[in-house]
Amino acid sequence: MLVSVKGLHKSFGDLDVLKGIDLSIEKGSVVAIIGPSGSGKTTMLRCLNALEMPNKGTIQFQDEFNINFDAAPSKRDILTLRRKSGMVFQSYNLFPHKTALENVMEGPVIVQRKAKEKTKALAESLLKKVGLAEKMDLYPHQLSGGQQQRVGIARALAIEPELMLFDEPTSALDPEIVGEVLRVIRDLAKEGWTMAIVTHELKFAEEVADHVIFIDGGHIVEQGTPEEILKNPKEARTKQFLDRILNPS
Amino acid sequence: MFLNNFILAASDPVVDWDLFQSSLWPMIQGGIQGTIPLTLISFTFGLLIALLTALARLSNSKILAGLARVYVSAIRGTPLLVQLFIIFYGLPNIGVVIDPFPSACIAFSLNVGAYASEIIRASILSVPKGQWEAGYAIGMTHRQALLRIILPQATRVSIPPLSNTFISLVKDTSLASLILVTELFRKSQEIAARTYEFLQLYITAALLYWIVCFILSLIQGRIEKRLDRYVAK
Repeated sequence: MLVSVKGLHKSFGDLDVLKGIDLSIEKGSVVAIIGPSGSGKTTMLRCLNALEMPNKGTIQFQDEFNINFDAAPSKRDILTLRRKSGMVFQSYNLFPHKTALENVMEGPVIVQRKAKEKTKALAESLLKKVGLAEKMDLYPHQLSGGQQQRVGIARALAIEPELMLFDEPTSALDPEIVGEVLRVIRDLAKEGWTMAIVTHELKFAEEVADHVIFIDGGHIVEQGTPEEILKNPKEARTKQFLDRILNPS
Repeated sequence: MFLNNFILAASDPVVDWDLFQSSLWPMIQGGIQGTIPLTLISFTFGLLIALLTALARLSNSKILAGLARVYVSAIRGTPLLVQLFIIFYGLPNIGVVIDPFPSACIAFSLNVGAYASEIIRASILSVPKGQWEAGYAIGMTHRQALLRIILPQATRVSIPPLSNTFISLVKDTSLASLILVTELFRKSQEIAARTYEFLQLYITAALLYWIVCFILSLIQGRIEKRLDRYVAK
């Protein structure tokens, strides 16, 4: 197991959003996290790199690193955790004052203190990989949503994370450009990246994911292969959710 | 009698060009030796104080935030002239004697510090939360995210209001004439006291301030344009 999560709790004030999440992510696997809005799926993903601070629970990376949230973890542990994962945001969150290339270089140069010249080559190859070889010197506002999100993916890859986190990466995109972002994620899956993806794209989840997790009400209701969860769900809540998505109105 | 005087005065030439020429250079000198260094020094230190104050107010420490709040409230709630007088005429009573120019620098720096801290605080808060998160997500510390991601964006937002602060400061430095700092307006007062041409000299002083502020607003426009290059039009 690359990542093992145990007993994760998160509340915002009186509102319990995560009520004890146990979860394992195998190295090289793609985990799709689905569930209705407000189910806690995004909060869970954000807990995995402590953008939301869990109130309780542990996250373990293989055998080498363990962080416990029962008491406030040290700043160093939080940084270590964050540097193990790359995050792709729903609204991209690119740095608007930096070009595409500078966005991608920021992590390796500033956080990992790598040499600029070497990093530039790495950043260029990553932008090429996501199909933006021609756009490297443009600022985010000069790029389309799909292009910005692909820069976001390259920026997250640049720190060479062990785990990639995607928070509804296509939800802010126009339908006709969703495909260009999904294509990049699909390629990453083929390369063997370990990924956790919160998504509403069930067809994409079915095709790319090795493992599907259905969350509702702050619990994992059901998990298994895409076939098990998306085609033959056991739980009534899963069935209801899938039915609503597949047959709207 | 009064009427007589009035007519007499009115019949004088409106502008005494000889006086204009002979008074202009000393006034400009006062500007170069007094107004400009006073403005630049006070603004530099003021911005530094403002940044620290803004960060203190945004910090998790209640003590720091409280101290910053009291400082801003005290400076904004008292007249600048009174602050100047306390530092220059008041402090000697407890044995602290400071020369006119440094006294003025202290007063103006503290003043800019308080007003600009609110501007900087608001512009830091105006940067979307997702920018902090994007910094954290690539492993940045709080300080790295602040310096590399947040402050550059906050700077762009704060340029117009900070330019206003700067331009106000140029004009406010004329108050330093009241604590014996040799600057533009004090020069005009000195010459006026000698020649009794108050109207002409004070208008000349006003024009000089106007020219400086006009040039500054042109520079402001250029800086704004430069910083806008990465923002969608």
